[in-house]
Amino acid sequence: MITPFRSARLRSVNRPALLALTGAGLFLASLDAYVVVTALLPMLTSVHIAVNRPEQATPIITGFLLGYLAVMPIAGGLSDRFGRTRVFAACLALFAFGSFLTASAPSLSQLVTGRLLQGAGGGALVPAVLALAADLYPAGDRSPVLGAVSALQEIGSVLGPLWAGLVTASSFGWTWIFWLNIPAAALIIWALWPEIRSRREERRPANLDWVGALLATAGLALLTLALYAANPEQSPGGAGFLWQAPLSLLFFAAFVWYERRTSHPLINVRRFRDSSFSGSALTNAIAGAGLMVALVYIPVLANAVFSMNASGSALLLVRLMLGIPIGALLGGWLAYRLRSYRFVAALGLVLAAVGFVMLSGWNEGSLKPHLIGPLTLADGELFLTGLGLGIEIAPVSAALLDVVGEAERGAGASFLIVMRLVGMLVGFSLVAGFGLWEFHRATAHLLPPLPGLNPNFAAQFAFYTLKVEQAIFDEYHLIFRATAIALLIGAAVAAATLRPLARPRWQ
Amino acid sequence: MRAGSPLRVLAAGLALAMAMTACGPQPPDGATLLKQSSQRMLELKGFHFQMQITGFTGAGEPVQSAQGDAHPPDLHAKVILKEGAVLLEVEVIFKADKIYLKSFTGGWQELTAAQVAQFFDARLLFDQQAGLFAAMRDTTAPYRGNSEKVNGHDAYTVDGVLQGARVHQLLPLIRDQGAYHATYWIESPSNNLWRARVSGNLFDASQAATIVFDFSNHDHPVSVSPPPLG
Repeated sequence: MITPFRSARLRSVNRPALLALTGAGLFLASLDAYVVVTALLPMLTSVHIAVNRPEQATPIITGFLLGYLAVMPIAGGLSDRFGRTRVFAACLALFAFGSFLTASAPSLSQLVTGRLLQGAGGGALVPAVLALAADLYPAGDRSPVLGAVSALQEIGSVLGPLWAGLVTASSFGWTWIFWLNIPAAALIIWALWPEIRSRREERRPANLDWVGALLATAGLALLTLALYAANPEQSPGGAGFLWQAPLSLLFFAAFVWYERRTSHPLINVRRFRDSSFSGSALTNAIAGAGLMVALVYIPVLANAVFSMNASGSALLLVRLMLGIPIGALLGGWLAYRLRSYRFVAALGLVLAAVGFVMLSGWNEGSLKPHLIGPLTLADGELFLTGLGLGIEIAPVSAALLDVVGEAERGAGASFLIVMRLVGMLVGFSLVAGFGLWEFHRATAHLLPPLPGLNPNFAAQFAFYTLKVEQAIFDEYHLIFRATAIALLIGAAVAAATLRPLARPRWQ
Repeated sequence: MRAGSPLRVLAAGLALAMAMTACGPQPPDGATLLKQSSQRMLELKGFHFQMQITGFTGAGEPVQSAQGDAHPPDLHAKVILKEGAVLLEVEVIFKADKIYLKSFTGGWQELTAAQVAQFFDARLLFDQQAGLFAAMRDTTAPYRGNSEKVNGHDAYTVDGVLQGARVHQLLPLIRDQGAYHATYWIESPSNNLWRARVSGNLFDASQAATIVFDFSNHDHPVSVSPPPLG
C-alpha cells in the first residue's frame, strides 16, 4: 500500500537526513529479524528452559514472525492516515518496548511477548519507510531510493545472526542484543522529534482494511497454534490440531470472501487467477521456508553436534548468508540477460535444493577436511545454498510485480514480503514439529546409562552420546532432505507458471 | 436499677461482640503458626510443588528447579539440572521404595537409591522427619510479620533461622555449617503453607543462594503409579 502523496512541502525537508534516520530505524529492526537463531541456547537457559525441550523455543521464533505478519499489511495505511514519521516513531517505540520485554524476560511467556511486539513494531517499519521514501522523491528518482531501503533491510537481516553471535559470545551476553535497541531507538526518535511534532506531514483518510487484516491474522495465528508441537514425543503437531487447522482454513476462506467484496482490500485476491501471480507467490513462500530452515537449523546443528559457541555458529551461517545478496544480484542480472524469469527462478531453487541435499549428508567430520587453504567443502555447500536462495529472489519478485502493474506495485511488494514470511512461519512450524517427533521416535528405546555401580559407565556413556549425535544428524538429514524436496517443488512451480519478461519500453 | 441490669449486661455483651468482630480474630504467633502449618502440611493427601534455586549454586549442585505433585513419600516431578552452561530436564517418580527416571532419551528406567542420590533425591524434600515440613518446627526465633498476597492467597510471613545441618538434610549438597534465613508464608486459619524460602550462603561459604518452594492444590489427592519401563 505505498501511495506517495507527492507533497511539495514534505520534499522541502532535509530528505537525505530524514531517509537516513528512518533507514537506521529500519536497519535496527531488520537486524533483529533472525537475531535469535544464534542466541537461542543462552536465551533458553535464561528463562529456565532445558535444551532437551527445544520445542519450547519454537514460539520465540514463530512469535516474531506472527507479530510482523499481523501489522505489516496495515502499516502502510496507518501511515497514510496518521503521518509517516508519526507511525514510524510509534512502531519504533513498540519495537524498543518489545526489546525491553525480551531482554528483561524472567520467563518464556514474557520472552515470547517481547518478540511478538518486536515483530509487530519492526514489521510495520518496512511499509512506513518505503512509503516515506516514495513521498520524498519524485517518480523518476524514486526507484534507487526504494531499492536502497529494501537493500538496507536485507543487509540488516543477513547481519543479524552474526551480530547476535558476537554479542552472545562476548562478556556482555545475549540480553545486550536487545538492550542496545532501546537507546538506539530513543536516539532516532529524538532526532526525528521536530519532524514528528511539525504539522507539515500530509495526512489523508485511508481506507484501512481492518477486517481483512484481522481475519488473516486470526487464520495465521490458529494455523501456527495447530502446527506447534508442544509435546513432540506424542505428536508432530499441536494438541488442538483437529479443531485449530479447520478453523484457520475457515478464517482464510472468510478473508478471501471479504477481500473480494471490500472496496479497499489488502490484496486483490482475483490476481490469484493469474498463474504467474499465484505461482510466484507460492514459490516465494517455499523459498522463505527454505531460508528459515537453514537459518534455524544450521546454528543449532553447529551447537549441538559440532560444539560451536554462538559466534562460531554465527560465522558458519555467514557462509550461507553471504551467498544470498550475491545470488540476488546474480539472479537479477541473469533474468535480464536471459530474458526468462522461470528459468532463473527454477535454477536458483534447484541450486538451493542441491545445497540442502549436500548439507543433509553432513556428519561429525564434515567441517574438517580443507579443500583450498582454510576453505572446506562445507563452506562451499553453505554458500551454494545461499546463492540458490538469492538467485530466485529477483525473478520471482519481478514476475509478481509485472502481473500487478504500476498501480498496485506497492501492495505487490508488501505481498511478496508477506508470502515469504508466511512460508517461513508455516515451513518452520511444520519442520520443527516433525523433526523433533522423528528424533523422539528414533530414540524411544535409547536408554542413557546410569552412573553408580556400573564399572563400564564411561565407555557406555561415550557410546550413548554417539548414538544421540547420530539421532540428531538423522533428524537434520530428514529436515534438509524434506526442504530440498519442497524447493524442487518450488522450482517446478516456477518453471511452469512464471511468465517471460515484459518487453522493454523505450522512452 | 435492677430492672436495667440485664439490659446493660446485654448491651455490654453486644458491644464486646461487635468490638471483637471489628478487630477479627488475632492470628497465632510465629511459633504456633509454624507448628500448626507443619502439622497440616505433613497430613495432606497431596499437593503440587515448585522448587527454584537461584544465585550461586556451584559446580557441584546440578539441580536448578523441580516441580510436580506429591503425596510423600510418593512423588512425580520434572527436574531441571544444570550441565555446564545448559539446562537439562529429567522426570522422576518415587513410588513406595522404587525410584524411576526418564532421562533425555528413551523411556523409564529404575534407579537405585545410590544412583538417585548422585543428582537429586527429591523424596528428602518432603520426608516426614528430614523434610521441609518437619524443619518448620525446628525453625528458631520465629517472628510473624504482616499478611501478604502469595499466589492469590493472604498469608502471614514468619521469619526465622534454620541451622545448616538441618537444611543439609533436605538437599545434601547444601553446606551443613552455620545458619540460614528462612521465611514461610502461611495462611490462617487454614494453616496452608503457600511459600517457603531459605537463603544464605547455601552452596559456598562466600556466595549467596536462595531456594524458594511454592505450594498449591493443598489436600488434592495425589496418587502416583509406577511407570511402564523401557
